[in-house]
Amino acid sequence: MATLATFLRRFEAQAAPQKERRPALRVEQDPYRLRAIPNSDVYFFCKKIDNTRLVREADPRARKDCWTTIGAACAVVVLLTTILMPAVAGTMAGYRIQELRAEEQRLIDERRVLELEEARLLSPARLQQLAEGQRFVTPAPGQVIHLNPRGDGSLALNVK
Amino acid sequence: MDPHERSHANRRLAWLAGIILLWAFAIFGNLIHLQVIRHEAYLRLARNQQQRVVEIPAPRGSIFDRNGQPLAMSVPMASISVNPQHLPDLDVAADILSRILEIDRIALYGRLRNARDTGRGFLSVKRRIPPEQAESLRSLRLEWIQFNQESQRHYPNGTLAANVIGSVDHEEHGNNGLEAALDDELAGHAGTAHMLTDVKRRGIDSRLATEPHVGSAITLSIDSRVQFVAEKELARAVQEHSAKTGSLVAMNPNTGEILAMASYPTYDPNKPPAPGEPVQARFNNSVSVPFEPGSVFKVITLAAALETTDLRPESLINCGRGAITLFGRTVHEASNHGYGTIPMSLVLAKSSNVGAIQIGMRVGQERMYEYLRKFGFGRRTGIPLPAESPGMVRRLSVWGKTSLGSVSMGHEVGTTALQLARACAVMANGGLLVKPRILLKRDGVPVPPDPPERVIRPETAIAMRQMMEGVVVNPAGTGRRARLNGYTSGGKTGSAQIFDFATKRYTATYNGSFIGFAPVTNPAIVIAVTVNGTRGTRGFGGVSAAPVFKLVAEEALRVLDIPKDLPEELPENERKDQKAQPEEANDLPVAGLGEAPVLEETPQGTGNGAEVVTAAVQTGPKVPNFQGMTMRAVLAEASQMGLPVLVDGSGLARVQQPPPGAVLQSGERVRVRFAR
Repeated sequence: MATLATFLRRFEAQAAPQKERRPALRVEQDPYRLRAIPNSDVYFFCKKIDNTRLVREADPRARKDCWTTIGAACAVVVLLTTILMPAVAGTMAGYRIQELRAEEQRLIDERRVLELEEARLLSPARLQQLAEGQRFVTPAPGQVIHLNPRGDGSLALNVK
Repeated sequence: MDPHERSHANRRLAWLAGIILLWAFAIFGNLIHLQVIRHEAYLRLARNQQQRVVEIPAPRGSIFDRNGQPLAMSVPMASISVNPQHLPDLDVAADILSRILEIDRIALYGRLRNARDTGRGFLSVKRRIPPEQAESLRSLRLEWIQFNQESQRHYPNGTLAANVIGSVDHEEHGNNGLEAALDDELAGHAGTAHMLTDVKRRGIDSRLATEPHVGSAITLSIDSRVQFVAEKELARAVQEHSAKTGSLVAMNPNTGEILAMASYPTYDPNKPPAPGEPVQARFNNSVSVPFEPGSVFKVITLAAALETTDLRPESLINCGRGAITLFGRTVHEASNHGYGTIPMSLVLAKSSNVGAIQIGMRVGQERMYEYLRKFGFGRRTGIPLPAESPGMVRRLSVWGKTSLGSVSMGHEVGTTALQLARACAVMANGGLLVKPRILLKRDGVPVPPDPPERVIRPETAIAMRQMMEGVVVNPAGTGRRARLNGYTSGGKTGSAQIFDFATKRYTATYNGSFIGFAPVTNPAIVIAVTVNGTRGTRGFGGVSAAPVFKLVAEEALRVLDIPKDLPEELPENERKDQKAQPEEANDLPVAGLGEAPVLEETPQGTGNGAEVVTAAVQTGPKVPNFQGMTMRAVLAEASQMGLPVLVDGSGLARVQQPPPGAVLQSGERVRVRFAR
């Protein structure tokens, strides 16, 4: 595939003979010789150039333009940041709020599950089963002593 | 440039410009198509992509007992579904889901394959999975597993109060009990919110679309501790007496609050109805199944007599030596007892059928019917439970010649256990008909009680209480087994033969029942017990139902912290020890209680390092001699000495119990009978 340069040059090459309008001279070519590859006569080679002794000439105008551009760019960045900051902060806060809402709902659900578990553990049938397992019995008459509070609250009346 | 060449170039430029213009037109046209013509469609697509509708859960309201113990509550559960068209690999999906969800892998694979082949975009894999399974699946972070939140109703106490609370169907709609009756209040309505999400479906912002309505939390008057004992003892009694069903209602007579409502058989509302399960298990026998009450109804007859006739508890009634003939129909006493002329109080204590008929005849049909209605029989109580039966009280116009006699002893009428408990509460609270309450609070706001209606005079109620106490206290009374330890109690037994509508005859099976209250002076609880389908004399109410009353009442009074009004009866061995002591020991201020309890240890204690303090029971003061004194003088002296006195009659004090000089035990009262 031809490069762009070759492509353009091809037009120039086509235009040049039209300008001169020479009679076409057909050069007999060796039919066994291969056609030249485009730009096959271009060779790349490195040439060492020592620039160390060159010093850039001071150009105050260019420097000024440079700093002006940098300043303008910074100003644009600050402006954009200032304009976009609330929106970004709002979006981040939105993420956080949704996370917290989901967390709140999860905790509410978890609390309900725990309340259910607590209710199961405290069900009278289970407590009865545990009590029977521990061989607890209902106190016999006379075993339960009700303490009547003394006036000053120090001790029960029926305690010596 | 050559003109010819220039014209070529111009033509080419014109073509290029034309192409670019067409291109611009095409873009512009497409823009119009996208932004104007298909605006709504693309907006919808964009919203579908960026927004999702999230459900704000609103669980069904919980049901609590009076102490805040949950009886029913809904818990969010995850349900698992997949889009079979988006499954990367059916084998892998079936492996993962079947292993974690503990379902059959082959069956699941078949369902997935079938759903994919038929082009279905949704397949529910398993509903309401346990939280640990949901957590396991979530931890896999697989995009093709969809979690849908659902709610599941749980009854943490299993069968406890199942017939009262009821149950829900698979969509959490109540189908029985309070769950059905209060479905509108309990049901929650989930809200929705539009949530803006990012590409990873994380929420950025949300906007409420519809407000969620959480179901109301209901607090019942039921005490789960009393309910547990009631159900346990009722089940034991039904099984012991080979009965078919049973019901029990425990009520606060002053407020009408239902403390326990038990039915046998019962069921576990956590489980769906099993095939072949008896339908009766889901009935609330206490409110839905009326029965002939039998002798417990004599309480109503006697109360009507005290209100409408000059009969008093001591009035003598001729019991006809055990039989009475009414218009060719002869009615006998139970167990062929033959009572002569006995006081009205003994008619109740001995449950004389003939005596009750005689008293009913004195009352008369019209007034008897009026008092049946006044006591609330034949109409619903208004308790918010489904399928409440009004019972059966026939219109007066269709009463037969012997109907009055039958009604007087509790036949030809149908009542529910709840109606009996309410009628008994009239005696217990001084003559007021209260409306039974089972709802204490809605969302923490107390439900105001309905005002009671006066049915009988207070003095009639007190007289009835004393007579009903005689049923329990009198050695000849039928309710001896209902005597409580540490509390006074009153009640009435009932044993009604069950009528077979197929053969139009009474069968040999009974409705054994008991209604009672305790303590007698200021009743804190009323209990009605019925055991249906008992056989033989062991199935009579005094044997089958009265012990249930005793056990439930003792436990309920203990739970409710009602102070004892009688000294406790010590076990047999300790009683013998006390009898062995000399009589003077009764005067000692400190009675031995066996091993004294250690109440506290003082750090500065000497000797053993801890001071053991002993508990002691004080004996009461000696009872003075009230005989010959007027009522005013008796009350004044008793008040001065701080003695509780129960007076009866009018005139001068003739008889007193305990006798003069006796030591009044803690909780004991002095009964003084006056006569002219």
